[in-house]
Amino acid sequence: MNSEDLIASLSQDLRPVSRHALGERLGQGVIAGGLITLVAVVFWLGIRPDLMPAMLGATFWLKWTYTISLAICASAAAMRLARPDGTAGGWLRLMALPVLGLALIAGIELAMTPSTQWLDMWLGNSWTICSRNVFLLALPIFAGLLWSYRRLAPTRLALAGTSAGMAAGAWGATLYCLHCPETSALFVLTWYSLGMAGAALLGRLLGPYLLRW
Amino acid sequence: MRDDDNRLRALMLAGLAGDGGAHASLLRALLPPLRSFFRRRLGGRDDDVEDLVQETLIAVHTRRATYDPGRPFGAWVYAIARYKLIDRYRRSGRTTALDDLPELADEFAFDDASDARSDVDRLLETIPEKQAAVLRATRIEGLSTAEAAERLGIGESDVKVSAHRGLKALAARVKDSLR
Repeated sequence: MNSEDLIASLSQDLRPVSRHALGERLGQGVIAGGLITLVAVVFWLGIRPDLMPAMLGATFWLKWTYTISLAICASAAAMRLARPDGTAGGWLRLMALPVLGLALIAGIELAMTPSTQWLDMWLGNSWTICSRNVFLLALPIFAGLLWSYRRLAPTRLALAGTSAGMAAGAWGATLYCLHCPETSALFVLTWYSLGMAGAALLGRLLGPYLLRW
Repeated sequence: MRDDDNRLRALMLAGLAGDGGAHASLLRALLPPLRSFFRRRLGGRDDDVEDLVQETLIAVHTRRATYDPGRPFGAWVYAIARYKLIDRYRRSGRTTALDDLPELADEFAFDDASDARSDVDRLLETIPEKQAAVLRATRIEGLSTAEAAERLGIGESDVKVSAHRGLKALAARVKDSLR
């Protein structure tokens, strides 16, 4: 096709684009994936029976603060990297803050607990499945973000993939909190983070292949 | 270049608001700079040039939601054109890691600066990849030896040696071409 004809056909029936189209597109991907993850939490893992009383306590909110702040940072990076001239803009580095904060709390927790109980605190009752669950719950959200990116224009594919994977991991972990009854900061710091890092690594590896356009 | 950018940006904004005429004018105005951008880098394969120009126009159209009205328009188009070029290189088997490329120009970059830059690019392609990477990092981007070593995953002494050898090789190439 000659370029003049191409231009004519592209300009026909041009639809207006909202200023927020990019954010909306990413939001739709996260929410669609998040709904599938939520269904999996409810019907596959089951909501923790003591969710209501747990939500009145500090531990639940500590976990959510951790996973949600990571999710916001990674999502912001993923959003910036969806533009061809975009950079992560420090959002990925900012993730060090919640990690260090939780590490500090885990340190205090350890100092206040006799060392004979440290191992139990670290491993909890579910360390063998926690990371795996977080990783699996991230997958639908990661798929949602990949769908979002199909209309967007990332050019740093590995970094965009990492951010999307990390965002999916952190949102997945946020929903996993509805199931997981573990209470120690050290547990969350280790096993949740490991699951999220796995999702980020998956994004890092797949990004260069799946995000091409 | 500023005026140019503002004019194109105004057309882009009108297009985003749904004005098909402005959108067509924008795409038409992009033809000459895109053609010269790709022609310079592809070395005269005209079919490929027009192919990439069209691919870029289609991307500018279908991915127009990724333009941030608060930022220069030229940088956005340039980033798309550059991506399409790299994608073409990769498909044809040339290895260029996307993340390793020099930072984006934040001006409308289809100008003399990019002409000079493409000459440098062409020269750097004639020397071994590691030496080129080191020179890009230390001489063009201005990283320190330590930073470049970390970025490229090689030792500091390796950076120094590669930079030295690379410069020597480049000097020889330039001398040859002047003969």
